[in-house]
Amino acid sequence: MEAAYQVFTSLEEPTGAEEDWRYVELDHTFSELQPVAVPGTELEPGRFVASLPERSGRVLIVDGHVLEHDSAVAGVQRFSDLDDDPGFTGMVPTDHNKLAAAHAAFSTEGARVEVKPNAVMEAPLVVEIQATTAGTVSFPHLQVVVGENAEASVLVDYRSADGARLLLVPRVDLELGNGGRLRFLSVQGLDHAATNVVHQRAVLSRDSTSRIGEIGLGAKLGRLDLGVSLVGDGSSSEVVGLYFGEGDQTLDYRMVIDHQGRSTTSDVFLKGAVEDDAQSVFTGLLRIEKDAARTSTFETNRNLVLSENAKAHSVPNLEILCNDVICGHASSVGPLESDHLYYLMSRGLNRERAERLLIRGFFQQVIDRLPIEGLGEVVSDEVFRRFVAAQEEGRVA
Amino acid sequence: MTTALDVRGLSAGVDGKQILEGLDLVVPLGQMHALMGPNGSGKSTLCHVLTGKAGYVVSGEALLEGKELLSLEVDERARLGLLQSFQYPTEVPGVALREFLLEAAEERGISEAEARDRIEREAARFDVTRFLDRAINNDLSGGEMKRSEIFQMAVLRPRVALLDEIDSGLDIDAVKQVAQAVEEMRSPDLGVLMITHYNRILRYVTPDRIHVMIGGRIVDSGGAELAEELEAGGYKAIRERLGLVETSSEPARRPADFFTDTPFDV
Repeated sequence: MEAAYQVFTSLEEPTGAEEDWRYVELDHTFSELQPVAVPGTELEPGRFVASLPERSGRVLIVDGHVLEHDSAVAGVQRFSDLDDDPGFTGMVPTDHNKLAAAHAAFSTEGARVEVKPNAVMEAPLVVEIQATTAGTVSFPHLQVVVGENAEASVLVDYRSADGARLLLVPRVDLELGNGGRLRFLSVQGLDHAATNVVHQRAVLSRDSTSRIGEIGLGAKLGRLDLGVSLVGDGSSSEVVGLYFGEGDQTLDYRMVIDHQGRSTTSDVFLKGAVEDDAQSVFTGLLRIEKDAARTSTFETNRNLVLSENAKAHSVPNLEILCNDVICGHASSVGPLESDHLYYLMSRGLNRERAERLLIRGFFQQVIDRLPIEGLGEVVSDEVFRRFVAAQEEGRVA
Repeated sequence: MTTALDVRGLSAGVDGKQILEGLDLVVPLGQMHALMGPNGSGKSTLCHVLTGKAGYVVSGEALLEGKELLSLEVDERARLGLLQSFQYPTEVPGVALREFLLEAAEERGISEAEARDRIEREAARFDVTRFLDRAINNDLSGGEMKRSEIFQMAVLRPRVALLDEIDSGLDIDAVKQVAQAVEEMRSPDLGVLMITHYNRILRYVTPDRIHVMIGGRIVDSGGAELAEELEAGGYKAIRERLGLVETSSEPARRPADFFTDTPFDV
């Protein structure tokens, strides 16, 4: 941690001028934020977790401290002596950026979920990551290790106390053994005063499959820096997500899907909407390494811009160092399709109703593909509620 | 005989180009009329203008059972009883056909139970049951799309149905199926205007009256003998008989026009 601290002090805070931080303003200064010595009080259960039909167990992390860790199936451990854990800083390089370095330097404890080889966890393990104390920065840490031919399912629910201005810098490391299968969904429902910068990595061994989902609804700035490394031959990754920004929110997605093994496949499918003065950012790099023959990969990012001042930036990228590949990307930014509106209205639906149906339809394609079942309705309702409120208040162009 | 659709002196242009030149047309309730014309004669424009698509400069009158349409919004016209089956129905991602029809029925004051019942019944009749829970027009063949369009009408029960190029882009088996669906939808409470470029569908449906449209207006109307004349000599024969000069301005073609222009089954 001493080494990490050196790296942390040597790096500048992002200003927005860096390519990796373009469009984004991090309006927190580290020197003004306090670490949390005594965690705050746990929040009431959120509606996303409440709507889950069943769960395998629960992990509760409040202000970076692991307060509860139980599971009937998976081995869940709290670990506090991070220096003794070589895996702890393994997946995100400490010098990735100032915040990643801060996590490595200041994170004091975390939870590790380890699913033994051949074990099957059907109902999701629920990991609640909460931030409650205004004026603080905290560094929750989660590791999920899926053993050979094991199957794991994890739901991470991010929330924060109402009106609390604070910074959350979580790290999530997902490690899949040969033939392992992981279903992982994060729901970012922080209060709009909070800032969340997540560094999340998945490393896939031979013939393993990860399905990662993301629902971005909360935070003033909600950033997910996601890397998926398809190291093992025959591994496969799916990343699906939806986001809906309102007010002055920024929802920021930076993804790198790195194909290293042979015969690997990946698909990124992200859809979002922005209204009011909100903005969204998507940069997605599909990188295919020299020896990654027979890679098949695609990424899609669709954005609805629902008001004049809202903005969506969508930048898909390919970096192909191997010639035996199938890959592509699709990206769009715009209002609701006028052809679709016309079709629905020509059957007698008024404009408001037609728009609502289209909004539901737009996100339904993501909801149908979420890796964890049982949350579709509550997610759909939340997105719908935001749109209808904006429509009724005349905030939709 | 009550009038379903009454169009009087309808003119329309788009982007400074005049397409409809004072068109008159009456379709009574309980009847099916065919409107035939070559590419560029303004058939689809007539549909767009009646349905209320944006972008046209319109003058004249169009009455649905005596009520003026042209000043109304697209959705108001539909609720009044005008529905169009599109030549190129758009796919609407993520919106299931059943869900959509339930909303459209609710908007018309049809009870949910009645709407669900109609959907089941009409879907079976038009063989579209397997598309009900799929996104609208997703992954449908040309013929399936046209059947789905007619099915929607059967559920929503318009007073005037506009069938735009109902047989375009279809192989002969699909034309027969669609023709059967068109005959099925006949009702004493409905006036149908079936628009077609090519007369092969008239072998399988029997309209009460045929209108020929050239250069933005109706140039001739009649019975089965008009179809026979077209079958024998095409629009050229009609032009010659009426002393019309062929205009050179053809509109931009779409790929599917190739199929409507090519008599595969002859």
